[in-house]
Amino acid sequence: MSIKRSLARLAQTTPRRLDVASVRGALPGQKRDTDHGELHLIDDYLEPHHHHGRAPIAKALCVSTKRLAQLALDPSFEDVDVQRALFLDTETTGLAGGTGTVPFLIGIGWFEDQSMRIQQLFLPELGREAPMLHWLRARVQESSCVVSFNGKTFDWPLLRNRFVMNRVRAPALPPHLDLLHCARRVLRPRLKSVRLVEIERKVLGMYREDDISGALIPQLYFDYLDGGDVSPMAKVIEHNANDLIALAALVAELVSHFDEVHGGDDPLDHLAYAKVAERTGDRARARSFADAAARGGGESACTVEACLLNARIARRGGDVDGEERALLDALAAANDEELRAVVQLALAKLYEHRRKDLGRALEHAAGSASAEGEGAAKRRMARLERRLARLS
Amino acid sequence: MNTVGGHTGRATRSFRRAEKPWARPRGVFEVLARWDSDGTWRNVAWSHGADPREARTEPLPPSLASGVELALERRGIRQLYSHQARAFEVVSKGKHLVVATPTASGKSLCYNLPVLQALASDPTSTALYLFPTKALSRDQEDGLRVLLRDAGLSVGAITYDGDTPGDARRAARQRAGVVLTNPDMLHAGIMPHHTGWARLFSNLKYVVVDELHTYRGVFGSHLANVMRRLVRIARFHGSSPRFLFASATIGNPREHAARICGEPVELIDESGAPTGRRQLLVYNPPVVNAELGIRQSYIKTAVRLTQDLVRAGVPTLVFGNSRNGVETMLKYLRDRLAHDQIDPSVIHAYRGGYLPKTRRRIEAALREGEIRCVVATNALELGIDIGSLDAVVCAGYPGTMAGLWQRFGRAGRRCDLSLAVLVSSSNPVDQYMARHPRQLISAPIEHARIDPDNIEILIQHLKCAAFELPFEPNDVYGDVPDDALGDALDYLADNGVVHPTSTASGSIYHWASDSYPANNVSLRSATWDNFVIIDLDGNRTIAEMDWRSTHTMLHEQAIYQHEGGQYQVERLDFHNHKAFVRRVKPDYYTTAMTHSKVTVLEQDEGTTIDLGEVPLVVGLGDVSVTEKVVGYKKIKFHTHENVGYGEVHLPEMQKHTSAFWLTFPEDFVQSQPEPRAVVVDALRGLSKAMHVVGAVGLMIDPRDLGRTLGSRNEDDAPPGRGQGPGFDPTLFLYDAVAGGIGLASRLFEDREELLRRARHLIESCECNEGCPGCIGPDASGDDEPEAARKRLVLGLLDAVGVSATH
Repeated sequence: MSIKRSLARLAQTTPRRLDVASVRGALPGQKRDTDHGELHLIDDYLEPHHHHGRAPIAKALCVSTKRLAQLALDPSFEDVDVQRALFLDTETTGLAGGTGTVPFLIGIGWFEDQSMRIQQLFLPELGREAPMLHWLRARVQESSCVVSFNGKTFDWPLLRNRFVMNRVRAPALPPHLDLLHCARRVLRPRLKSVRLVEIERKVLGMYREDDISGALIPQLYFDYLDGGDVSPMAKVIEHNANDLIALAALVAELVSHFDEVHGGDDPLDHLAYAKVAERTGDRARARSFADAAARGGGESACTVEACLLNARIARRGGDVDGEERALLDALAAANDEELRAVVQLALAKLYEHRRKDLGRALEHAAGSASAEGEGAAKRRMARLERRLARLS
Repeated sequence: MNTVGGHTGRATRSFRRAEKPWARPRGVFEVLARWDSDGTWRNVAWSHGADPREARTEPLPPSLASGVELALERRGIRQLYSHQARAFEVVSKGKHLVVATPTASGKSLCYNLPVLQALASDPTSTALYLFPTKALSRDQEDGLRVLLRDAGLSVGAITYDGDTPGDARRAARQRAGVVLTNPDMLHAGIMPHHTGWARLFSNLKYVVVDELHTYRGVFGSHLANVMRRLVRIARFHGSSPRFLFASATIGNPREHAARICGEPVELIDESGAPTGRRQLLVYNPPVVNAELGIRQSYIKTAVRLTQDLVRAGVPTLVFGNSRNGVETMLKYLRDRLAHDQIDPSVIHAYRGGYLPKTRRRIEAALREGEIRCVVATNALELGIDIGSLDAVVCAGYPGTMAGLWQRFGRAGRRCDLSLAVLVSSSNPVDQYMARHPRQLISAPIEHARIDPDNIEILIQHLKCAAFELPFEPNDVYGDVPDDALGDALDYLADNGVVHPTSTASGSIYHWASDSYPANNVSLRSATWDNFVIIDLDGNRTIAEMDWRSTHTMLHEQAIYQHEGGQYQVERLDFHNHKAFVRRVKPDYYTTAMTHSKVTVLEQDEGTTIDLGEVPLVVGLGDVSVTEKVVGYKKIKFHTHENVGYGEVHLPEMQKHTSAFWLTFPEDFVQSQPEPRAVVVDALRGLSKAMHVVGAVGLMIDPRDLGRTLGSRNEDDAPPGRGQGPGFDPTLFLYDAVAGGIGLASRLFEDREELLRRARHLIESCECNEGCPGCIGPDASGDDEPEAARKRLVLGLLDAVGVSATH
């Protein structure tokens, strides 16, 4: 059977797709001629004092880059020029990735003085990506860094594909701050979910009205391509702009709350910041955030973990008294068997090795079984008993 | 006296005990002598001694890079076998190549040499190696790495598959000179992300496709489309790779390779490698019930022969045709050898369902000699290097001559005498082979058939291709004609998965769907969609199984056999692809009973066969086939009695395919003196004979051809045994593969010859009233078998004017 004939048969049995109602309005934005072809550009400025929810976005300009670098766990941000940061977010024809997924809306934003400039590059028809990519390339090259949410995993690899597919040379990527990673480190203990909408509501106090669900976006775009109404596209464009603004607001929020202890913050946040500080070797900051977390009156587990962190820092600093104090605080705060066991194990080690107080070490070792396992605990106790016996 | 020379003949009694028994107390000679004296030899339907062959060699090619020459010298290779030398020459002329020489003739050097040469002259060159299984790529990876290093090449060779860890994946993309993978990974993991593999694709010199013969039927049709996509992607990145194929013996290597890569290919099929002496036997178990044509169990016979070999210390490989068969043989062998004080752990099973770790362990133990006997399904056909084995026993004809030779090829390597035995089952095709054993050396080997233009397969891959790169005007997709390609893309556009945009030179079709099409296209049923089998005691996964087999092997209450143990399926979670089993010790195993029904969707061709008094209506067209497992039988171990039945409730499996049909008018059926049910049963017998000769004539695995008897009109009830007026009984022979690969249409073309050969088969069969070898035993279940059944079939054929050709 020839291909043509089998196709005709196949086509008979498959219903044709219904035509989408073709009420078209005008898309926001303008066409712009570039050296590489026509571009559909939505170009906008925000007021200098624009707030996203309760967060003033211009605050992003005055964050400490030192803190930013710590939060990003990436020293290349230490001297970054925040004024030239590029906020990036794309809307795509799918989430699957791969060469068949196309970013049809590339949103970029940056600060011009105190105002945020937002440019959105829209793909009016598949196959006309080259002008967008050239435009993006030029902007990336002028930027000191890129800020995104999940861009390291999703947006940037996808854009890199598009550069190859369209034979446009990809720009060298400056340092890339992926706020999803920061949010995971700082906000996940408290929020559990680190979806951007969730963060917006709970951290920035921003409730979007009439926002479009991300899951629907690819189909809305395909409907648009098939001649559908433009108003859903206008909503997608607005959604994307809001995501960009949220990036700036979130940078300001996350970094400023790391710069100094904010008494009103949740102890879980404090603890999370303490851990980030610990990872970057900033012991003083780790200690002050851990203290705040320990004093914050949070759940027992949070308090205990904060005390343990303090104990760890004290131990590394050779401060045996500080370690003992922190561990005893932890023990006082531990309200269940397992937490106590963890603390007692740490105490057993402290008394055995640093305090050389074998009696107390044994006392605590007796309670450490569920932290290090029956066998290990028995061996520890046996050893302590032997040593005690030798002494007496 | 030369005992294993070029003699061929029925049961040549040519084996004497070794003159000095102590010189050869063990080994193949000893076993053959024993079979000669204990009466076993009486059932040997055919024996053939294949002469040893000297090596034919040629000097290393003068143009060979000096590093490569050095690497060869380190392996003691100072000359090439003639086929290796010719392969190097053909490839250096820039041609595509297929090497089709026997197992263990040094095929991999045929493709490795040109690749090494290319890498030596330009270290940025890349090559892509495709193997049908992960295990094979891992096997080749190690050898290739050493070869590369010995040749002084710093480029790496990395296997890229589902098990490759993250950093190795990065290295494969960024640095590897040779990437080894499988078609499934290329299809779903590499090509849809080809931009990340730009280095590989833009420098791609060679695509090596090993084990070409495994890519037949649907899998092959898929592979051809994967290659069409690959060529398209390579073109985008500016390269035009040469294809190097290696194949076991098949009837049409050149044509098959050309079909896969879409361009003409040079063939090398004469091996220059030496072979040792090899004795081939066909053993046909004796008839135990002449009326029904029932023979001694071939499974038990194979076990007995294997037992003799293992006892005599002969490393033996046993092939079974089904997983169940393999497990049953394993159990029997271990039971029997336990009596001989032989440690059961020296015998092992090896089959596809085993987890990779288990398979690796078995391969290693086999190489080390810790395992003396392996019972396998065809997994071992795939060239895994297990060293030499002295004997191969095939329990049952594997369905194709090519398959048989690949199994036989596992016996014997360079020098000593080796033995290859086929134990024929009662299956018609097996009996056909046992009766015409000369076919084994004289008949042509099967052709590997594929249909890359099978519309369902083509459409699926066009989606993947559109995802990979938009289709430009004048885009090329293999050898699909421009207008057909345009129609297919328009069809996809109508269905909204691609979006056309118009340009001055024509439409460009862009992928326009929120999905990743490769994930919905499985190149074979055995990769994705697998069911996992979980042992409820211990709560661990013990094996995986292709979903198509689950209906028959993992229905609830089925006895699942694994590594010689029996498990009963307690629950089959169809939705989550899990089967929960528990260890049991039954004295039986189970086999599923299936019912299939064919409904004609559309007739493409229709005519009559008008040879005698009654014209037969024949047709060809698209049909829907519904298969359902309706129950299972319990078969007692060792005695093979039927000891019970059970019901199975599973969803039907439906597919669309092509069928050839042949209708006997109901008037004609009614006009026979015999009751209608008897006539319909005779027609069912005829369909069985046609199935046998059809499969043999097309040189295909009989399982690729489905068979049923029913009505062309779907409203009719299934053929009953009642007397009332019925529909026109219709015999269907259909492509077992969904979408079809053109078997039905070839049967339609040869329809008269098909009937004549069926008649010849029935007439020449030695049985009285039908046996599994011709029209099948009487299935009426009556105590008194219908005496005139075979005569009735011949009478019906007389009436329609079909007389035998010989």
